[in-house]
Parts: sequence; C-alpha cells; structure tokens
Amino acid sequence: MELIASLIVVPVVAALLLLVIKNDRARDVIGVAFAALIAVLSIAFAVVFAGTGPVDYSVTPNLENLLSLVSLAIDLVVAAFIVCYAVRYKRPLALGLAIVQILFALWIEFFAPRTKPLWLGTDLTTAVHVDALGVIMVLIIGIVGSGICVYALGYMKDFQAHELHENPQAKDRRPWFFALMFAFLSAMFIIVLADNMTWMYTAWEVTTLCSFLLIGFTKTEEAINNAFRQIVMNMLGGIAFQVAIILLASFRVPLMFTYFIQFASSQPYVVLLPTVLLAFAGMTKAAQIPFHTWLLGAMVAPTPTSALLHSSTMVKAGVFLLVKLSPVFAACLPASVMVILVGGFTFLFCSLLAISQSNAKRVLAYSTIANLGLITACAGVGTPEAVWAAILLIIFHAVAKSLLFLCVGTAEHHIGSRNIEDMDLLFERMPRLARFMMLGIMCMFVAPFGMLIAKWATLVSFVETGNVALIILLAFGSAATFMFWAKWLGKLSGIAGEPQNVELTVHKTEWVALLLMAGLVCVTCVLLPLMSSGLVVPYVEEVFGVSGQGIDDDNLWIAAICAVAIILMLFAGLGRSSKQKKVDVYLAGASADNMARTFRGSMSQPVAATSRNMYLDNIFGETRITPIASAICTLVMVAGIALGLAWLVIAFMNLFV
Amino acid sequence: MTTLATVLGIIAFAIAGPIIGCLLAGLDRIISARMQGRVGPPLLQPYYDVRKLFSKENASVNTSEHAYILFAFIFTLVAGGVFFSGGNLLLSVFLVTLSSLLFIVAAYSTRSPYSEVGAARETLQAMAYEPMLYLMCVAFFMASGWFDVAGVFFLDAPAITTAWLAFLGFLFVLTIKLRKSPFDISMSHHAHQEIVRGVTTEMSGPTLGLVEVMHWCENVLFMGWVAMFFIWSNPLSIILAIVVVLAVYFLEIWIDNNFARVKWQLMLKSAWLVALVAGGLNVAVLAYL
Repeated sequence: MELIASLIVVPVVAALLLLVIKNDRARDVIGVAFAALIAVLSIAFAVVFAGTGPVDYSVTPNLENLLSLVSLAIDLVVAAFIVCYAVRYKRPLALGLAIVQILFALWIEFFAPRTKPLWLGTDLTTAVHVDALGVIMVLIIGIVGSGICVYALGYMKDFQAHELHENPQAKDRRPWFFALMFAFLSAMFIIVLADNMTWMYTAWEVTTLCSFLLIGFTKTEEAINNAFRQIVMNMLGGIAFQVAIILLASFRVPLMFTYFIQFASSQPYVVLLPTVLLAFAGMTKAAQIPFHTWLLGAMVAPTPTSALLHSSTMVKAGVFLLVKLSPVFAACLPASVMVILVGGFTFLFCSLLAISQSNAKRVLAYSTIANLGLITACAGVGTPEAVWAAILLIIFHAVAKSLLFLCVGTAEHHIGSRNIEDMDLLFERMPRLARFMMLGIMCMFVAPFGMLIAKWATLVSFVETGNVALIILLAFGSAATFMFWAKWLGKLSGIAGEPQNVELTVHKTEWVALLLMAGLVCVTCVLLPLMSSGLVVPYVEEVFGVSGQGIDDDNLWIAAICAVAIILMLFAGLGRSSKQKKVDVYLAGASADNMARTFRGSMSQPVAATSRNMYLDNIFGETRITPIASAICTLVMVAGIALGLAWLVIAFMNLFV
Repeated sequence: MTTLATVLGIIAFAIAGPIIGCLLAGLDRIISARMQGRVGPPLLQPYYDVRKLFSKENASVNTSEHAYILFAFIFTLVAGGVFFSGGNLLLSVFLVTLSSLLFIVAAYSTRSPYSEVGAARETLQAMAYEPMLYLMCVAFFMASGWFDVAGVFFLDAPAITTAWLAFLGFLFVLTIKLRKSPFDISMSHHAHQEIVRGVTTEMSGPTLGLVEVMHWCENVLFMGWVAMFFIWSNPLSIILAIVVVLAVYFLEIWIDNNFARVKWQLMLKSAWLVALVAGGLNVAVLAYL
C-alpha cells in the first residue's frame, strides 16, 4: 500500500518542485532524480505484485470519505480550469461541457445512492485493485513515461533557445511544462490502479486537462485551436463516463470497477447502456475515428508531449479501459460489435491514410491511431487470445512509438525538418540516431519484432472466432502498414559520400532516453516469451481462466532468435569498412558527385537526378478517405449508443407490465 | 522439439532449396525459349551464371548493401526451413516478408535513382500481394484446421477441396511474387528497360549472385505453398502435389511469355480486388457455412 501511495505521490512532489525551480541545472538534477525514482518504484512495484495474483486494498470509511472529497475537489478544480480557459478564449462549447461536468460531479458526490456489494459483508470497499495488467501498465508508465521526462530536459533547452531566437522577450514557461509532465504520470497511475470508479474518473479528467494544457503550451493560434478540439472531444468521453456512473448508481450497482465487470459479464444486458458509454469514453480517449483528429492536432505540441501522449499515457488510458471491459464485451454482442467495428475500421483507414503523409510526426500519429484501433478491436473480441494480443500490442506500441517520437524530435532539432523526404542520408548524418529510428520502425511492422508477433496473435484470435470482417480489415490494413513504414525505412538507409555528422551536439539526457527506449525495444522483443509467461498470461488467466497465448513458445523463441540477428545486423553488421572496392552509382551518364547525385549530361553540363518516395495522395489522400471513415465510424457509435438506450427504455417500460 | 526440427529444416532447405530452385530456373529458361521459337540454354545455365557472378570482383557502391542482402538470404532460408519442417505457415510468410523488406532496403541504401524507383515499386508490389497472402493462410487454416503445415498429413481430404477459391487468388498474386510479367514492374529480367534493372541496378558480382540464389530458394518455397493445398493423409498425394506444382510453374511461364507489363495502378487494384473477392469470399464461406 505504501508503494502504491508513493507511486502516486512522488510524481506530484516532482511536479510541484519543478514548478518552482527556474534554474536549468537544478531542473536537470531534480528531473533525472525523480524520473529515476519513479522508474525504480514501478520496478519495485512489479517485483512485489508480479506473481501475487489480484490484490485488493480497502480503506476505512473515514479515509474513503476524505479521499472522495479530495477527488471531488480535484474534479472541480479541473472543471474550473477549463471554464476559465473557455471564457478567456470564448469557446462556448467547451464552457457548456465543463458546466455539465461540474453538475454531474456534484450530483454523483452528494445525491447518487451508494450501494455496498453484498459479497464483502462489511462496510469496507476496495479502493485499489492490483492485477497483472495493472503491473504491466505501471511498468510502462513508470519506465517509458519517466524516460520521456528525462528526454524532455534536453529537448526543451533547444526548444527554449529556438523560442528566444524567434522572440527575445519570450517567457521561459518550462517549469509549467515539466510540472504537467510529471502530474500526468501520477494521474495515469491512479487510472490503472484505482478500483473506485469516481476516483478513476477524476484521474481520467486530470489526464484530459494535462494534455489540453500541454497541447496548448506554445499558445499559438493553431495550438489553442487544437487544444480546444482535444478537450471538447475528451470531455464528451468524460461526460459519457459520468453518465455511466450515474446510471450504475441508480441501478444500485456498487461503483467499483472489478465488481462492475463481474456483474456486467453475468448480466450484460441490464447494464448495456453504461457499458456502451464506458466503451465510448475509452474510444474517445483512444482517438478512434471520428475522434482521431484530436490526436493529429496534438502534434503542434513539443515532441516530448507527443511521445508521452502516444506511448505511455493518455491514449493508453483509453485502451486500458477497453481491455478491462473485454470480458463484458465477450458476453454482450451489441457492445462488442460496436467496439470491433470502430476499432477495425480505424485500423484500416488510418493505415491507408498514413501512406499519403510525408510529415514524420503525422505518419507516427496515424500509425498510433491505427494500432489503437487494433487494440480496441481485440478488446471488443474479448476472447483470451484477443486480450493476450491486445496487451502485447500495448507494450510494444509503448516502447517502439516512444523511441520513434524521441528520434524524430532529435532529428528535427538537428536537420531542421520533420519531413521524411528531408531525412535523406540520415544514416550518415546521424548514424546512431538513424539506426535507433530504423530499429523503432522495424519493431512497428515486421517480423520477428514484437508488434508483428502481436498482430499475428491478433489474426489467430480473429480466425478462431470466425470474425471475417476483422480478418479482411487486418489483411488490407497490414499491407498498407508495410508500404508506409518500408518507404520511410528506405529513405533513412541511403548512403552516399561522407556528409557532415550533425549528431555530436545532441544533449546527453536525450541520448540516455534514446538508449533506454532502444534498449527496451531490444529486450522486450528478444524476451517476449518470458514476458508473455511472466506478465501477460497471468492476467489473462486471472480473468478468463485460460492462458490465451495463441502462438506456441517454440515459434516465439524462433522469432526471438531472428530478432537478435536483425539487431546485430543493424548495430554491428551495417556500414563496417571492408575490402570491397567502392564504385559510383549508375546515373546513365558519367557520375560527377555521388552525394548530390549529379552526372554529366549529354552537353557536358552537370545534371542532378532527383527521386522522391510515392505518397499516392490521389488514392489514399486525407480528403478522399477521412469523410468516408468518419461517416462509417460515427454511424457505428451512434447505433451502439442508440441500442443501449433502447434497451434501457424497454427494460424501464417492462417494470410497469 | 519443434525448434530442433526447424534447425534441421533450415539446414536441409539451405542445401536442397538452391539445387531445386536452380533446376526450376533452368527449366524456366528452356521452356521460355521454346515458347519463343528458340532452342534455349542448357539446363544448368543458371548455375553457370551464378558461378561466374561469384568469381567476379567484389565491388559495391557502399558497404551496407551486401549485409542487407546476406540477411535477406538468411531469412529466406529460415522461412523455408520453418515451412518444410512442417512449422507454422504464418511464421514462414512473415519471414519472407522480412526478407523482401531487407531486399528493398538494400536497394534504397544505394541511393541510386534507378534502384530507388525499383525499390518503391517493389514496396507497392508487396502491398499489392500481402492481403491475398494473409487470406490464403487464413483460408488454409480454416480448410485444414492447422496453421502448422505438418497438419496436412492428417487430413482426410486436401485443403484445396474447400479453399480452391483462395488458392486461385493466391495463384494470381504468385505471378507478382515470382517476378513474372505482367507484374515484373520493380525489376525485369531484361536490363534495358525504363528503370534499368530496378532494385538490383547497383548490385553486382557476389552480391548479385546471392540475390539470384535467394530467388531460387524463394521460388521453391512458393511452390511449397502451392503443394500444401494438395496433400492429405494419402502418401500418393505427394506425387499429385508435385505434378500440380509443375503445372502451376508451367502456367506462370506461359503467363510470363504472353502478357505485357502493366502499370502499378492496375496491379494494385487487380490484386486487391482478387484478394477481396477470392480471399474474402472463401474465408466468409468457410467461417459461416
């Protein structure tokens, strides 16, 4: 219990300290120390809880009441923040939603009936529920999340220097930035560990507010607009969460997540509407189409923010909720179909859309949304195999995507662009960074690395449940995935001449974080079979009673050995000097300069050969695909909620017969 | 146990794959020549060509290209080993994909415009054939009950009886995988065309020799994918499978010699349409009926 409390409190302390510290060096020291402390605490937490099975902690009624008041106070502060910003920037929609949230929060605290579950027999309720999924999430948040905070220390120095260069009067708002980053981690820990639904909701809203403030950090017009888009969409999800709580309270269902899942798995149709609403909340946070635009808009924030939102926090809270709900989906067809279709279509359409993008961060964003879609679809299928695959997708996506964002952030500061076409020759301009980036890319889409193993398990689970629509969506989506990653990978790998190495000025904290993420990618991919048996299978067994590992250990080990081979190739095999004779490339003329790709044309004049990757904008462009995708997914979501509502009305009318 | 079988399979495939692939390639050249009214080279001509390539000077535009090709070759062998030791079909498909990715990256790494165009087209080709490959695997699983190829020896009837539509779809994309016209758009066998030699423009000597051997092995593996649809518990079915494989290979040569190269747009559209109709329909029928 002390461990859990410290996981939640330590990041808050770090946030408060960093809020008042203005000195660069002091910030570095404190930031690194706290990040390391959080990582150590989460590892200690994993060591304590990894083998124990689910553990519940109760608190005394007095303490529970106190904590509930604290959580209400936080709810109100969050809403007050939003109200202030909405008034200041004249956003009536955000203002209205915030006021609705305040009213609902007050109602839940003071008027909602409190029901104690019968099976506890006492007046204690569980406040904290630790299971193997919680352990995995704590490790992701604690290690990947704090690694990103360390990276941000160096990155924000360059960022600030750039700001000062543009505008010498620019205020140094970095204390605010770092406070938000650490506060985010604390809220995430609460989401994954709290069993009390109202506390979980409070943390849910804190993450929404934190990402609002982080996206709007630069306060440009674009940033403010995108921040408001984010908060409006996520407040819709938040309100759905509140309505679900209110409905459950009025059904006399105790507001404890574990209890709710047991209850809903046995009587899914009684709580169909709350289930659908919670799924909706999860899907808004997980940026499923049509809510994906908030995550695309989040790109305007400094890169560490994107890394944090995409890999270990925010969107992962959404899919965490959906994975938790998966036993309910398995028992409840309408909710399951809604989640499966939205997730499956999001995977396909976002993979197609990524082909048409040349902005590296946008490609990463679409890929994130697509993978979240796949996780969502797995959660919707709700079989043990699908949940096993979903958890692996969460893990590998977290490590690989954070590595990629950090790489793109560093590359952007040193080559002055985030366009993939400008990453030409990166293999030589930033040799170490390019290899890290290539590792991250390969981990995202190709065997024998983790994401593909997880996709493999996904395919197996879809096949075993006979889910034809999902099989087809997965087949086409994966093909698109191959296209957009392979051409990026190719761009990075180009070698010609000896361009200047520009990675010597990368900050030390950035290298530490990059090395950490690259190390995590290697370790998780190679030790996948152990991770499966030690962390993922225990959770699936807790929930479903069977292991759910859809791929046998032998195949996992073969893949692991292949992964070792690829890692060796990337870091030891490529670019070694050898006795091979060097020749110029063929340019249909006498080559003049290999690096500039010029040759002597027929008039003896130097001619430059240029080539560019294919983006197929007229086939997979945003203007073509986004409207179709949004229409389909909106329709599915509306139908799901309408069905839940209809069920509730019918049940209500039956009371009078 | 499976791991040991896989290792033995890899060793066996590393020996048998190039030999059988070389003979297939020689046969290919003779039959093609006859179709064009020529006598054609001796059966072992592909072997002589590759031997000559390996004796050439080791020259390259950079030091990484050869490493990529070497690993692409190794993973082709692993894929073949996994498949022919009766291992997991999906794993072998994924490893072939890895191998083709490394081949693509090798071409990109040279930074020659012709190679890059070839690599971009090769990427498109991969995107075109992948959905059908996945659906073929799924249909095979649904028809046979196994992802492990060894399972075919326990079947009462071969997978083709219920997965014939997906098999036909697979034959369509097989033309792309075998680099036969009309889908040889990333690199054709003739070096005088629009993108010179596409992906392999900058590859020469031993590196190019390795690429050739890799293609032989790939072809043998693809023919294995064809054969698995025709095998059941009856030992004689192996002979049937070999006959079918030879017929399919002959069909591919015939297509190669009778169709002009298409543009990538048509390739992508037709391959995806075939995947959706043949693959999707077959999987749906197997799932619901």
